Amino acid sequence: MLLTPSEWAMLKTSSLESLYMVSVSALLTALAGIPLGVLLVVCRQGHILENRPLSRSLAFLVNATRSIPFPIFIVFVMPLTRLLAGTSIGTTATIVPLTLGAVVFMARLAETALLEVPFGVIEAAQTAGASNRQIIWRVLLPEARAGLIMAVTITIITLVSYSAMAGYIGGGGLGDLAIRYGYQRYQTRIMLVTVALLIAAVQAIQALGDLLVRGISWRRQG
Amino acid sequence: MALIEISGLVKTFGRGSQAVEAIKGVDLSVEPGEIFGIVGASGAGKSTLIRCLNRLEKPTAGRVVVDGRDMTNLPEKELRQARREMGMIFQHFNLLSSRTAAGNVAFPLEAAGRPKGETGPRVAELLDLVGLTDKAGAYPAQLSGGQKQRVGIARALANNPKVLLCDEATSALDPQTTLSILALIKDIQSRLGLTVVLITHEMTVITEICDRVAVMEAGRIVEAGPVLDIFANPRHPASSGFVEAVVGRRNQETGYQPKGVLVRVFFLGAAAREPLVASLVRLFAVEPNILQAHIDHIKGTAFGTLVMDMTGGAESCREALNFLRAQNLKLEVLANAPDA
Repeated sequence: MLLTPSEWAMLKTSSLESLYMVSVSALLTALAGIPLGVLLVVCRQGHILENRPLSRSLAFLVNATRSIPFPIFIVFVMPLTRLLAGTSIGTTATIVPLTLGAVVFMARLAETALLEVPFGVIEAAQTAGASNRQIIWRVLLPEARAGLIMAVTITIITLVSYSAMAGYIGGGGLGDLAIRYGYQRYQTRIMLVTVALLIAAVQAIQALGDLLVRGISWRRQG
Repeated sequence: MALIEISGLVKTFGRGSQAVEAIKGVDLSVEPGEIFGIVGASGAGKSTLIRCLNRLEKPTAGRVVVDGRDMTNLPEKELRQARREMGMIFQHFNLLSSRTAAGNVAFPLEAAGRPKGETGPRVAELLDLVGLTDKAGAYPAQLSGGQKQRVGIARALANNPKVLLCDEATSALDPQTTLSILALIKDIQSRLGLTVVLITHEMTVITEICDRVAVMEAGRIVEAGPVLDIFANPRHPASSGFVEAVVGRRNQETGYQPKGVLVRVFFLGAAAREPLVASLVRLFAVEPNILQAHIDHIKGTAFGTLVMDMTGGAESCREALNFLRAQNLKLEVLANAPDA
């Protein structure tokens, strides 16, 4: 066979670690990234909660975070990681930099999706006497949901690739396995299987996202 | 008591050297139960004006009082309440694409916090009112422009408003659909006793349903009054322009060389049905050559214009003109050939 039984066992452990890192950080990222995206939109000039100082600080924060290469970012946030996870090493600790790094990415994508909602529709809601909270929950988010699902899909895929860099802090996972065995120990077979698994995972995530988007938007295509 | 009272309204966009004054001091009052039209070319400020009524735009100066409430200074919560008493429909409908027709109509009811049990029957009633009962489950993308505007109207009426604001509501529709939407607005207006304020760049919309009209140009109202008055006697060039768009171009522009007296006659109401030209021929020694004739109906009243070139000698022509004036017709001598 391609791999020995012990190598299969190692692959299984790494896969589960990857799944754990990506799913928990994806959940946290969506939970924080979408609200941040909403905030980026509604604070814009001319929008429902126009707030230029807040808008500018958020934009700066998002851009600053996104300018740091992820491996450096992992090291940069280590004190915070230690504070939140109790340690800076291990799979659980990895979730902190993964989430922080992906949230700003997610927020930008969510912002783009939310800006697609025509402002006239928001005005129609204001005309109907809707409050800002109602506009966010009943107009902005539902109207942008196809775009938001695409944004979440892209973010999860980014998390898969970010999580592969988590080997730096002993995070484990498939990326770590590929580097340690495939690269450092010249075990090309492990490298190939790992890469194949990562490709399959990304394809599956994208396909699932596309399927969800299609399920939502088929009625709207007239 | 006027239902809507606008005084000294000014709206400026931008600041400093970039500032654009969209409305430069408008005074206007709209009576309860009337259909009030505001006509103007694009950029005249009419859209900004109607948006100041429910404070989608915050006026820079002046007052907007609707039903005794000063809209300009209302705090957020009261503003939302006041907006519910004013429905609005839009040029591009602005429906929620993620909701069905019924879902869109339900939106204002949800926003007003009406109990769920009440929403269903009210939505059915509103869809019935606009003739869309069979489209309740359709998404906006599955509806035609006219149907979308009907959903818009049903949504605007959900919370039983006193006022309906129409922001270029028919400008994205074809002429046939425009007429059916206007008929619906007229019908609903009289049935519910609504006050309607509409803005448009199409004079035909005004003649079709409006009681009174204001003509806007460059941020000001240049003329206002009953539609028939403005039509029969436009005093401002902007008004004449809109009237001509309906009754046809002036003859001079066609390069026609009159042989006698070129005269334009306006008819109103019963006068439009008199055999006027036949009388002229029979009573005077004149030969009217009809160059242009047009009869419109403005809210059920016939309104006609006739341009004719009258020959037969100066004396006969003068007598004929006097006869026409005696019929209480408005005359306009456009040209007089030198030998006439």
